[in-house]
Amino acid sequence: MKVLLVEDSQRVAQFVRKGLAEEGHVVDHADNGRDGLFLAATDRYDALILDRMLPGSVDGLIIIESLRRTGNRTPILILSALGEVDDRVRGLRTGGDDYLTKPFAFGELLARLEALVRRSQGVEIRTSLTVADLRLDLLSHRVTRAGKMIALQRREFKLLEVLMLHAGQLLTRTMLLENVWEHHFEPQTNVIDVHISRLRQKIDAGFDPPLLHTVRGVGYRLGIDA
Amino acid sequence: MLRLLRSASVRLAVGYAALFVISSLLLVGLLWWGTAAYLDRETAAVIRSDIQAIKDELPYRGLPGAVTIIQDQLGAATDGQAVYLLADQSLKPIAGNLQVWPSEVAPKPGWYQVPLALAGRFRTIEIEEVALPGGLHLLVGRDIEDRGEVRALIVKGLWWAAVGAFVIAVAGGLLVRRAVLRRVETINSTATAIVHGDLSRRLPIHNSSDEFDQLAKTINLMLSQIERLIEGVRNTSNAIAHDLRTPLAEMRAQLEELTKARQPRSAMLDGVHKAVSDIDRVIGVFNALLRLAEIDSGVRRSGFRLVDLGELATEVAELYGPLAEEKHATFIVDAPEGLATRGDPHLLAQAVGNLIDNAFKYTAENGAVSLRMACADGHIHIVVADNGPGISASEKPRVVERFYRCYSNGDVDGIGLGLSLVESVARLHDGELLLTDNEPGLRAILSIPAGDTGNHPKSSATSVRDHVQAEPQNFAA
Repeated sequence: MKVLLVEDSQRVAQFVRKGLAEEGHVVDHADNGRDGLFLAATDRYDALILDRMLPGSVDGLIIIESLRRTGNRTPILILSALGEVDDRVRGLRTGGDDYLTKPFAFGELLARLEALVRRSQGVEIRTSLTVADLRLDLLSHRVTRAGKMIALQRREFKLLEVLMLHAGQLLTRTMLLENVWEHHFEPQTNVIDVHISRLRQKIDAGFDPPLLHTVRGVGYRLGIDA
Repeated sequence: MLRLLRSASVRLAVGYAALFVISSLLLVGLLWWGTAAYLDRETAAVIRSDIQAIKDELPYRGLPGAVTIIQDQLGAATDGQAVYLLADQSLKPIAGNLQVWPSEVAPKPGWYQVPLALAGRFRTIEIEEVALPGGLHLLVGRDIEDRGEVRALIVKGLWWAAVGAFVIAVAGGLLVRRAVLRRVETINSTATAIVHGDLSRRLPIHNSSDEFDQLAKTINLMLSQIERLIEGVRNTSNAIAHDLRTPLAEMRAQLEELTKARQPRSAMLDGVHKAVSDIDRVIGVFNALLRLAEIDSGVRRSGFRLVDLGELATEVAELYGPLAEEKHATFIVDAPEGLATRGDPHLLAQAVGNLIDNAFKYTAENGAVSLRMACADGHIHIVVADNGPGISASEKPRVVERFYRCYSNGDVDGIGLGLSLVESVARLHDGELLLTDNEPGLRAILSIPAGDTGNHPKSSATSVRDHVQAEPQNFAA
């Protein structure tokens, strides 16, 4: 996909460009708000990554406002060193789609970016999800693997549903917490890992190949290949 | 003078004195009207009624009738204080007890005060002169010598009263000014001491519950809050110095070592991974500190809404449920729904999460952790208990301090901000965090004022595992 990065810090920009390029994405970079707004308005991108605070008179929020006013619906991920809830809410209310606080892990950025683009391409209404021989029926709340029934508790079901909806994508612990438990807080211990390992016991133990993979230091990915 | 009036205490004192003088003058005036003036009015009334009687008689019985009345009156008056004189056109006496027309009295109608010799003594006489038909002149008077003395006495007394009132007013005004000034001066000097760095100073409370006391109490509360915040900042800076510099120094050393030594690629990678996770830890500390600062600033109050604490606690307990299995501990949850408050759901969830997290961190293998909720005295109490080592009485007040870690539980990792956050969240919601003994273990009680929902909680005690199994098995295969 084609991404526009508006970021004034050269090192952060280089880090993001390199990472996204390695994943096979095309990245345009602007180091100030004026150029960023020009590029965003004239070219077509799959997603924008905007730094909230930019040198000069045009900052991230102004870019978002200008684009949204002209009907540009490109998904926007806001990067900011301002982490307070107020700023997050303002960023999202202006028209941003997601918010990531600096400093961040590249994995988190990539995961959120991919989720944003996937969401913007329209969510098809599905009644069942399938990954390899794992099948989850959203209507009857049944889960089977290789035809065998798997009994899951409510949260385990929701967790698996979120993982399968984003099959092949990286999901960070924070994303899981937000999507499965709908809470914006940080557990001190990695309680998410415990939930994942319980789910893995049920869907992977005794089956081949393993589907639920841990991505070191970042999060999890559900898919056939590791 | 203008500058003096700019002082609030002087204005107050002057205002007080003026008010006192005015009210005193009003009172003195009223007294004068009721006493001295009353005497004057009475004398005048008696004279007028005598004159009227003579005037009334004239048309019926003519001059002889008037003369008779005068003689009757003189005969009746034994005190010798009455004066009558009826005279003709040339002021020659016709009847009465004066032999000649007094030279001080003009033959014109009006009131006169003249000294006359009565029974051999000069007396002050109040006289009214009236002209009667036929060119006659009539004088009727009363001796006011005695009354005059009484009147003078009263007037003198009233003057003294007025002077006294004025003196009292000025003295009172000065006293009021001094009393106000003293209280204000106390506040001023305390505030100045605080400005110069002595944060422990407080205003004296006189237990009089007057406005100054109320003000002093409010200011003292404010000072305590300021002192606590500043103390917090000081502790935090010290703690940051220790808790952030140490990992940064370690990281630096490690990275430096990596640049020097010729190590195999895998060892290099391990070193880098370790450095990254160290950095993540530092970032975690920063985030926690920023969040604490945000909570303490109170801005999150703007996002308060009605939160069902029972439901929220159940959800958070469910999230932490698997930890119980990991530690082979029992986890009892009794969180009835319908216990609502106004608050920030994310922060409350974080607070409850931290308490449960702590409980599992410190409880032993095969231990027991419980979360119970109750509503009492308008507060919702969330009680999280474990049967771990607990916290010694001496450490209890300190564990909510930032970066404080119990020395008795040295090997458990953490950054020492968990309970600080719970305490800050409690304070943000006008609640409190109480740490008590569970004998053995810790019993942490988070009290939040209850919001009005009109619902009454339905109580149920179940363990999480029972709870889950008691649910309809919607998801089972």
